Amino acid sequence: MLDRQAFLFGMETSKARSINSTLRRLWAYFRRYYLALLLIAVAVVASTYMQVLIPDLTGQAVDCYLAPYGARTLGGNLPGAIPVNELPNSGNLQESGAATNCWFTTTDLDATAGETVAGLGALVLLIVGLYVGSAVLSGVQFYLMSWIGFHVLRDMQADIFHQIHRLTLGFFTRNESGEIMSRVTNDIDAIQQVIGFGIISVLQGILLIGWIVLRMVRLNVPFAIISLSMLPIMFIVTRWFSGQARNAFRRARMEIGSVNADLQENIAAVREVQAFGREEKNIEQFRSSNAANRDANIKAQAYSTALAPTLEAFSYVNLALVAVIGGLAILSSGTLLGTTISIGLIITFIAYTQQFNRPVQQISVLWTNIQSAIAGAERIFDLLDEKPDIKDKPNALPLPTIKGEVLFSNVWAEYTQGEPVIRGINIKARAGDTVAIVGPTGAGKTTIINLLPRFWDVTDGQVVIDGYDVRDVTRSSLRNQIGMVLQDTFLFSDTVMNNIRYGQPAATDEEVINAAKLARAHNFISLLENGYETVLGERGTGLSLGQRQLLAIARVALSDPRILVLDEATSSVDTRTERQIQEALDQLLTGRTSFVIAHRLSTIRNADQVLVLDKGKIIEQGTHHELLDAYGFYYDLYMSQFRREEESTKDAPTDFAAEGAFFVPGD
Amino acid sequence: MQIADNRLKSRKGVENKAGNQSMRRALGYMGRYPKVAVGATVALLVATAAQLAVPQMIQNIIDTIVNGTGTKAILDLPEEVQTAMVTRLGLDLESMQLDLDNAPRALILAGVTIVLFAIARGLFSFAQAYMSQILSQNIAFDLRNDLFSKIQRLSFSYHDRNRTGQLMIRATDDVERLRIFVGQGLLMALQALILLTGTLIILMLTNYRLTLIILPVLPIALVIFMVFGRLAQPMFREVQGRLAHINTILQENLAGIRVVKAFAREPSEEGRFGDGLDDLLDQRLKIGRLFSFLFPFIFLVANLGQAAILYFGGRQIVEGNLTLGEWQKFSLYLIYIFIPMGQLGFIISLLAQASASAERIFEILDAKNDVKNKPGAITISEISGEVEFDNVTFRYFDSGEPVLQDISFRAEPGQTIALLGSTGSGKTTIINLIPRFYDASTGRILLDGHDVRDVTLESLRQKIGIVLQETTLFTGNIRDNIAFGRSDASDEEIVAAAKAAAAHDFISEFPDGYNTKVGERGSTLSGGQKQRIAIARALIMDPHILILDDSTSSVDLNTEYQIQKALDRLMEGRTSFVIAQRISTVLNADQILVLDKGKITAQGTHEELMNNSPIYADIYHSQLIEDAMPNNQKSMVKE
Repeated sequence: MLDRQAFLFGMETSKARSINSTLRRLWAYFRRYYLALLLIAVAVVASTYMQVLIPDLTGQAVDCYLAPYGARTLGGNLPGAIPVNELPNSGNLQESGAATNCWFTTTDLDATAGETVAGLGALVLLIVGLYVGSAVLSGVQFYLMSWIGFHVLRDMQADIFHQIHRLTLGFFTRNESGEIMSRVTNDIDAIQQVIGFGIISVLQGILLIGWIVLRMVRLNVPFAIISLSMLPIMFIVTRWFSGQARNAFRRARMEIGSVNADLQENIAAVREVQAFGREEKNIEQFRSSNAANRDANIKAQAYSTALAPTLEAFSYVNLALVAVIGGLAILSSGTLLGTTISIGLIITFIAYTQQFNRPVQQISVLWTNIQSAIAGAERIFDLLDEKPDIKDKPNALPLPTIKGEVLFSNVWAEYTQGEPVIRGINIKARAGDTVAIVGPTGAGKTTIINLLPRFWDVTDGQVVIDGYDVRDVTRSSLRNQIGMVLQDTFLFSDTVMNNIRYGQPAATDEEVINAAKLARAHNFISLLENGYETVLGERGTGLSLGQRQLLAIARVALSDPRILVLDEATSSVDTRTERQIQEALDQLLTGRTSFVIAHRLSTIRNADQVLVLDKGKIIEQGTHHELLDAYGFYYDLYMSQFRREEESTKDAPTDFAAEGAFFVPGD
Repeated sequence: MQIADNRLKSRKGVENKAGNQSMRRALGYMGRYPKVAVGATVALLVATAAQLAVPQMIQNIIDTIVNGTGTKAILDLPEEVQTAMVTRLGLDLESMQLDLDNAPRALILAGVTIVLFAIARGLFSFAQAYMSQILSQNIAFDLRNDLFSKIQRLSFSYHDRNRTGQLMIRATDDVERLRIFVGQGLLMALQALILLTGTLIILMLTNYRLTLIILPVLPIALVIFMVFGRLAQPMFREVQGRLAHINTILQENLAGIRVVKAFAREPSEEGRFGDGLDDLLDQRLKIGRLFSFLFPFIFLVANLGQAAILYFGGRQIVEGNLTLGEWQKFSLYLIYIFIPMGQLGFIISLLAQASASAERIFEILDAKNDVKNKPGAITISEISGEVEFDNVTFRYFDSGEPVLQDISFRAEPGQTIALLGSTGSGKTTIINLIPRFYDASTGRILLDGHDVRDVTLESLRQKIGIVLQETTLFTGNIRDNIAFGRSDASDEEIVAAAKAAAAHDFISEFPDGYNTKVGERGSTLSGGQKQRIAIARALIMDPHILILDDSTSSVDLNTEYQIQKALDRLMEGRTSFVIAQRISTVLNADQILVLDKGKITAQGTHEELMNNSPIYADIYHSQLIEDAMPNNQKSMVKE
């Protein structure tokens, strides 16, 4: 129970507990697509290289063509202008040109306008080529990454679904299905949001940042330090904001939870609400939970939306620093802490700074998403780690066709450790016997029938069918020979035909119709709009409770199991349908070993054995007659029913009693 | 699968004029918060202006640097060259020196200005984001409240047609999508437009020839966005459909896990789910391919614009028509053209989603409520409890088959009316008409002589207590649940009601007694316990008229007996309408109405009906076989 609370509680927090192991397991999913990953890695490196190269080339355009030309013709193209290279102090231009390493020309200060433009054109063509190349590469990256991402997502979802089937019923009684459902979809959603574009952006961003830093440092160390001086501040700011946002979002999630709960409950039960005139009070209540949700959200969103503009402001400051300090250095001595500064260098650094700020902002904004994706993955792994208590033994054999002899020998069972719900039960049912189980709520009736098809396992003792311990055979072969009709009939949104065919997908239409006839369901099915092809709504809506039960009986009848487990649901249907159900069940029970949680006296009366259960023990056992003669618990139970019937028949006209001949006045 | 397909088809026709109109109405909610809306817009304008000013400042800095280095070069020349240059170029050495001396100060000034703009930009864009959050969250708050109030008041016929899940999605998901558009999309669109036009103006003023070179990029980008938007939208819808499909399988497997396990159908269910996953994967990859093309393509177009500026701008520099600083500024501003273009593409998809959602929201808000108070409806206070159906016919849809036809009967105060009949015979409809869950299509229902449509719903329903077959309890404790219809009830009244409903004993056995929390849908209580709380809940209203379904859900025999006793007590002295499932009710009833296909086929007391109604006799017998047999058996045993 505590584990369960931790499981659910863990879901409320969006920060992962053990990032390393979660990442390792996530990696295991990605590793399957290593070839694509390798390709991505190559593409990322190549396209990042191109992206860094471009500002470099832009700087070259300035230093190798535009700046020299501009400097030389300072006063315009006047005749007799003194060539700059003859100027004694023009060395810094040449040096800086050498520093940026012009690819297509040495800084040729004699170049004519035409040559300069041609050189520039060649450079621009190269840049265009790089742009096209990086576009193609990033297209490839994006596609491959979403390809991997969606495959990983599919794998995880398939694993979750598989796990759900492996888990025991105990898990589903402890956890609301809606809860599991919404967790699974939300967590998968959180992962999906960063998978693909998010991961690429972050990887490329980190690579780009690294690369730019490297280039900057290689070009000019002091200038690089100045350009990067805002980075630590940005880092701290991001951490602070994402921490605040996380806390605020956690609150907001709780508030939206209560809004959803309000909605769910009051819409689903709107008939009761109106019947008791609670509308106004509910609306008032909803307003307050809705308002709390609004306020929590404003706060949470404020933190997360403030991050981007804050970082942007810092990036402007960064830009100003680079331009002003670079400019001052050029104007004063042309050097910065002993290094040479050129205009081209400043322009390159401005371009770098801008290029560099983009991934920083992107990663910061994605950071919250990434954290919640990791947390989501962690919760999914928690679910996948839930131990299925019941699994096939490694050497489990398929159960051969059985006669249906069932033996419970000294069976103990518990859902929570140390709290047995079944305490040392012994039952022996011969093939074809009907065993009725009666007892108050919580006596352990449902547990007994859960043990047969191994929905649950014994903690001590054994359940044996035809000499096979149920734990020694495969679950599918076991369950295939056990039919179950449960209290709340579950139908799938599919056709009536397929719903009946559920246990026997290979059954022909004729076999299905025969089963329906046996279950007394054929008549009402024929009256449905599309007969057997009628598609049932959500959980069988459109059918009455009784009709749903008849379908469930047909479903089992089609499987023709040797052993039948039946949880009788009785009075919720009208009398005629009730009688049909009774007939159908009687026919179904014939010749099969049956365990029935009985609510009808007729069932009990016809049973070969009646087990009276109380607090996990069989307190009385025998036939109806034997038990009545014992004047024990069963007698009391029976008497309370009997008294009521006597009361109700007191007013009955005597002529009817005589006429009906069913009713003999009490002694 | 089929269902998911249908749902998909119906969604495809959603975007139309109705969507636009709903969108306009949704935006009308902004009018409720004029201050915040105006504040956000002003903040946006300031923030955008600050953003636009930065490249200008960078240009100033670079121009200062370039001029400074040039001047410095000349000033550093040997004297004779310098004089020659000065005379030839007509320069003023002194002013040049002054400029050079002032250059560092100009640089620092420009730098400080950028920092100021950065601060302004940061502060105002935060202010804008915060205010638009306040605005959009408040709009979402209002929409949700309106939706909730409307849903709570909509009549049963509306709820018959709509599922809880669907209504919830509208109050949560659709409201959220609309909110995102209002909170982000709308202001982002405004910002993008301002940025785009502002930038274009600046560019034109700076250098119209260069601007003309990149101008064609804009319509090209616009066309690309529109084409992609068209292509992507149906693809996204398809994804939603396929997602809904796998969610349905997941949900069914969770809810029906016992059935799946009992029939050992895990492998085939996993196969079905796997197929659904593969379908989803295919569609997602299709979108992936589209966007793998779109995103790099947009960036490429933008980058080519940059390259063009580099080349043509470079040529202008060589020709002496452009300074390096201007050129640098130009390429910085260029980014401000492409970013808003990208944003507009994103906004178009947000808008399409939001208007579909707006339409879905207003569909509920505009839904006609069939059952509401008449103007001038009277409040009834004391009634005796006489109920009369006067020739009542009811159909669920105007043109549909009548569910009830020409029903007339009269219940005297204090009488018990038992309703018998098979499923679909109209029993439930009759009891639904009394508290006006539905209104009769023709004919009247009179309560102490008042047509129920002439009295207020509140006063009418206050007089009526209802216990239904499926008991829904609400989150909260047992006390709250008993006092559900009368929140002013005292503890004594609550305990008294619980005692009368045979619920006091088991409630007292809980450690927290009446404060015991009742889980979601009352899951911590057994069926029989829930039913007894429902009886207490009806008792505490002290209704004049009682409507109940006397079946007991599967409980053990002893509990069933207690419930029946509680029900009998509940009916004492009240006009009661009972959907009868047990013999004693029928025998004790003052009137029995036997219904078949919406008509009363027989009416009278038990004795009367036994003599003249074969249908009644048939129903009675089938019931008696069940109940009287043990009696018979018992006496045999005792012999």
